[in-house]
Amino acid sequence: MDFPENLPSPDIGRLEQIVSHFFPKALHIVLDSRIPSLQSRGRTRDRSSGGLNVKKSDKWFNLIMGDRPAALDKLHSWHRNILDSMIIDIILIHPTDDDDDHGNVRSAETVIERWVVQYENPLIMSPQTSDPSTRYQKVYKKAIILLRSLYAQTRLLPAYRVSRQLSSSLASSRYEMVYKVSSFSDVFSPPVTETMKEFRFSPVEVPPGRLCASVTYRSDLSDFNLGAHITLPPRIITDYVGSPATDPMRFFPSPGQSFEATSFHFQGRAGRPPLTTSSASERPHSWTSGFHRPPTPNQSFSPDFHWSRTDGGDSHHQLSPPFSPSGSPSTPRGSYSPRINVRPGTAPVTIPSSATFNRYVSSNFSEPSRNPLPPFSPKSTRRSPSSQDSLPGIALYKSSRSGESPSGLINHYPGHKLTKDSKYDSGRFSGLLSSSGSPRFGFSRSPSRLSSDLEDPDCSCPFDFDDVDESVLQYRLKCQSLDRRKTSSSISQSLPIGRKSQDAAVGVLVQMLKTAPPLRQDSSTYMASSMSGVQREGSSVSGAESEFSMARSTSDALEELRNYKQLKDLLLSKSKSVGGATRVH
Amino acid sequence: MFSLLTVMADSGPKKAQYERDPYTHTVAHEALETKSEVESFEIREVLRCILHTIVFHRALGLIRPKDIDLELFDITYVQCGEIEVEKKIDDKIEQFVTWIGKHPNKKSQICLTFYEVKTKQPSWFTNKIERLYWEQWNINLSAFQPPTKPPVGKSHHSKLVMDPGEESEDISSRRTLLEQSLQEVLFQIIKFVNEKKDHVPPINDGVIYCPFEITFPSSSDSTFGMDMLKRMLHSGGHPSMLS
Repeated sequence: MDFPENLPSPDIGRLEQIVSHFFPKALHIVLDSRIPSLQSRGRTRDRSSGGLNVKKSDKWFNLIMGDRPAALDKLHSWHRNILDSMIIDIILIHPTDDDDDHGNVRSAETVIERWVVQYENPLIMSPQTSDPSTRYQKVYKKAIILLRSLYAQTRLLPAYRVSRQLSSSLASSRYEMVYKVSSFSDVFSPPVTETMKEFRFSPVEVPPGRLCASVTYRSDLSDFNLGAHITLPPRIITDYVGSPATDPMRFFPSPGQSFEATSFHFQGRAGRPPLTTSSASERPHSWTSGFHRPPTPNQSFSPDFHWSRTDGGDSHHQLSPPFSPSGSPSTPRGSYSPRINVRPGTAPVTIPSSATFNRYVSSNFSEPSRNPLPPFSPKSTRRSPSSQDSLPGIALYKSSRSGESPSGLINHYPGHKLTKDSKYDSGRFSGLLSSSGSPRFGFSRSPSRLSSDLEDPDCSCPFDFDDVDESVLQYRLKCQSLDRRKTSSSISQSLPIGRKSQDAAVGVLVQMLKTAPPLRQDSSTYMASSMSGVQREGSSVSGAESEFSMARSTSDALEELRNYKQLKDLLLSKSKSVGGATRVH
Repeated sequence: MFSLLTVMADSGPKKAQYERDPYTHTVAHEALETKSEVESFEIREVLRCILHTIVFHRALGLIRPKDIDLELFDITYVQCGEIEVEKKIDDKIEQFVTWIGKHPNKKSQICLTFYEVKTKQPSWFTNKIERLYWEQWNINLSAFQPPTKPPVGKSHHSKLVMDPGEESEDISSRRTLLEQSLQEVLFQIIKFVNEKKDHVPPINDGVIYCPFEITFPSSSDSTFGMDMLKRMLHSGGHPSMLS
């Protein structure tokens, strides 16, 4: 390399330094944005520290990239002659439609980007008119701007998104992005060049030559069907509509609306708005078909995590300079250990667990020994989420209809219980109601139950979705009226009608109703039988019991049956002692 | 109308302050002629993207770049990472959006101008500090407020599902066009910042980004133009220019 002799020697050295450092910096910028395994650590260090903890090598061109992976240093080590051009090929390995004889899908490699950085040395030196002492400062400034443009361009080209998608995909994908660094290029086959565009950066005059950079890229990567083949990891729904933290009455537009699939929580973004501002159409709802609809392939997002390489990928990146590596240098995807907390995709709703529920219930029992109520067996409380989801409204309805249950829990304040205890439940209930314009869809699992309920003329319309609170209020009023009558009797002494035990009893009742069998035509028989009052013999209870036994194990059913019988006998005795049958609505 | 998005860069030799020949790049991209519209909530995203991209190329001090993904578009842009820059740009954008809200459906222009602060020889009259503007970017756009639809039902419990018919298709097509236009503009910015580099002031130690100001018309377009002209003609020294 012949630098002009009229330049002072420090300038020669500095200019050469600029050129020689330009290549690895450009290489770092390109590969950092394309190959996840080569992403720098320390990029997102504390920005307040500024350049305090930055290595000297990283300060070149005033662009802190973070620690350069050792692989990049090795890559560049062969580039000793600054006159050699540096060609970085970004190659997408993708499956082809052809299958071989064994049925395995073949892969093909397609160059989707080619970055070329070179120092052109003109044959004729142009006269230098600028002040030599400040020449290298100007050259350095221009080189900085060029690298800034290079950096910005890497983010604008389509390969950036593809690389992010591939890096975020947890499942094994037949797609992979690899790179090849060389000093000479294969001539593009004609069909490829037609689809590729070129962007040339303005060269920087570095006497005696100039630094040039250009990129040839495929502007359209839809041919590879990336979206259909990449399995995206499940998302964490932080603002699920059923959560009490969200507004249950928020309107959600229909999924048919074309909100742009927005990208959230991408790496490096500070102060990004939370997921609550995401387009609502992407948010899976529990009332949509299937309990949890996986995101469609066309959606583009990435969960909030930072990749950390767990293996040293150096062994993959050995090059036999100046030719490309034989194997794929990118780290196998299975070695990634993403630091994400991913909820299983099929868990739709966070419902009060049986443990918490039991805890709550048991804490309210004043004297468990005196409680004739059926103790909750773990099985009885451990219901599948699906049935619990579909039954809250039905539970309300049933409790309002059957003014009493064998347990006598109806006497208390289930409504109060509902609003006090699980604000979650009420929130969820109303949340389900305010779903996208189709309130009944929340109960799509049991449409027959709905119809049977609504036909009942005495129904106080708990499924009146406009008056959720009113139904609860009505129910509460009924229970209060019952309670007043009951408390007048001495039943209150034996029955768990104390302040605390009321709540416990109500909780038990709610739980029982939740675990009640679905409302079918048979259930109307049950209702009619319960309506006749507590004087009905045990046959009705056993009839009802047969319903319950369908949903539970036999032992649980038997146990409950015994408890019901006990309660029934107790009520009967008390009512007789009071001297009148209690009216039951 | 985003179709009027033109990015003009005025640059020239530093020595002649206001006698320089402004070198103007005017972008009249064909795609912009499709008249894609910018809605109010999109303005922030669009402007933030454009302004930060320009400033990133003129923040020549030691920076740690920050990649930002737009929420409305499939575009990633780069910030220089300086909090003061971010705050300044956000504040100006908010003022602009407020102004847009008061002047809906109107063409507007927002200018990003880079300057150098020069202290003249303090005479016994005044201690003049002047600004030398060496680059100016003009961003023209029109924001529109879509007409609000009357509510379908009386209560919010009624069917609130919007008709996903043609309206959403229009929105998506418009947004796609806007995204393409924005991407094109960013390409143009990268091209412009590279074409002319000689006029960029030298990097001073400790200075991370070149000082800049963002202006937009606070009144009508005509007076805004007059303001700009006045500023250019009556060069620095006026105390009111120091803000």
